[in-house]
Amino acid sequence: MVGPTTSLTPLSRADGSASYQCPATGANILGSVNAPIELPGRRDALKPEDATVEVFIKPGTAPGGVGERYVEGIIKSMLGRLVLGREKSYARRGIVVTLAIVGGESKPRGDSYLTVLPALLQTSLLALLSASVPLSMTFSATVLGVNTLGEIIREPAPTDAAAATSLHVLAFSSKGHLLLNESRGSFDFDTWERIRQRALTICHGTLSGSPDGDVAMVEDVDGQPLEGVVRETVEDKYHQDYAWKIDAA
Amino acid sequence: MNKEAPLSITERDFILNALRENVRLDGRESDQLRPLSISFGQEYGHVKVKLGKTSLIVRISSEVTKPRDDRPFDGIFTIALELTAMGSPAWDNGRQGDLETYVTNVLDRVVRHSNALDTESLCILKGVSCWSVRADVHITDYDGNLIDAACAGIMAGLQHFRRPDAVVKDGQVIVYGVDERVPVALNITHKPLSITFHTFDEGNRVILDATRKEEQAAEADVIIGMNNAGDVCFLSKFSGSPVDAMVFVTKSTVAQEKVKEINGVIDKALQADLAKRAKGGMLEESRAENDR
Repeated sequence: MVGPTTSLTPLSRADGSASYQCPATGANILGSVNAPIELPGRRDALKPEDATVEVFIKPGTAPGGVGERYVEGIIKSMLGRLVLGREKSYARRGIVVTLAIVGGESKPRGDSYLTVLPALLQTSLLALLSASVPLSMTFSATVLGVNTLGEIIREPAPTDAAAATSLHVLAFSSKGHLLLNESRGSFDFDTWERIRQRALTICHGTLSGSPDGDVAMVEDVDGQPLEGVVRETVEDKYHQDYAWKIDAA
Repeated sequence: MNKEAPLSITERDFILNALRENVRLDGRESDQLRPLSISFGQEYGHVKVKLGKTSLIVRISSEVTKPRDDRPFDGIFTIALELTAMGSPAWDNGRQGDLETYVTNVLDRVVRHSNALDTESLCILKGVSCWSVRADVHITDYDGNLIDAACAGIMAGLQHFRRPDAVVKDGQVIVYGVDERVPVALNITHKPLSITFHTFDEGNRVILDATRKEEQAAEADVIIGMNNAGDVCFLSKFSGSPVDAMVFVTKSTVAQEKVKEINGVIDKALQADLAKRAKGGMLEESRAENDR
């Protein structure tokens, strides 16, 4: 399994940015984060001690519509719980996440966003990290499809996704807790449990937890666990940015 | 809102005084473009443009729709440009600012109204179905001269894009997939590009391809839309202080030169991409003519 291609801070104007390309689904997402910024006309914010997370999705080849607003809602509520909005200089400020779908097959009109949702989530996480927004945890997300034979397909291509009986998007926190579950189609609970198991291995590898709650990640058939991709992207960026210091030492 | 933070008075004066001594902030000549790079993505009509620090992505897409009632022979071509917080923190998501309306209007005028894309060739069946071609411009980094960069991107995209083949059989429209039949290139009638100039010092200094700071310090802008043959298809002096008529005359020669330069860059990038695709794709096998 070929892992995703990622890069941190490809843009210069935005506070933080990331690009993410998933080879299996073909989704190519560019994300940017501006934080903390003044949000105009929002003095009467609902939670005066907290930061407001705003998410905007820009589809690649179509005007935005109801589908985008719906996914924005999903991502917003998930990120809202992760961001430490009460940190210094974040209260009453805005965290604006902008995600543009810059590549990949354009989905048919009215189709659900489930296939690109994990890519959107991963991009927003990387962009938040790039903008150094305080987060309570990191996460990783994947999409799985179940075909008519009951087989689980990891990150199905657009044609597979269209033929699948059910599609599931799951996100796990860095500690292995389930953060998000969005499903479409018909399935029973046993199938879902199998899906959850598989998704957990994709995100975290075969778990071998130690008593202090640390999770060691091991590679298997699913290649490098997605949680490791996030770590590696950030590590690579650090190595690049601090090359002068590392070389000098 | 939706405005960049204004320059300080000292910064404005610095730019102006430097220009009086014929020096620009980045050391360019007054008639010199920033380094322009154009590259193509995996799909047809996916263009990445970098003009100095300004960068954007253009995606061209097509779908079959019903033509407008008053123009049954014409296809539909739309340019969609939306400024998001990605390009600049000063822009609000989902809120239209002055710059957005202005840039969209100029692009519409230069590319669409000059008939760069022959919309009649997009007709499939009179009054029943036609192609609707859409150019989406995603601004990823904004550092001045959005118009010229977007215009170059759209024109490159239109030349790069291939739409699926469609035929009419017994009154039925059949659209063939990209892997069934060789996709068709769009019919481009000419290649217009816009060239933007900014004036300073009561119209005495005119510079090409201003950066964001230079744009903010400028008095007025002049946009010339022109094609390779030197036909002027758009001329605008939108706002700001008056500009001497001679500027239009002298600068159209410069504009012509720059249009050729940018079109050269686009052609080169197209050639390189085509060669790359020919290696891996079915282009050779699917060609109708043979080498004789």
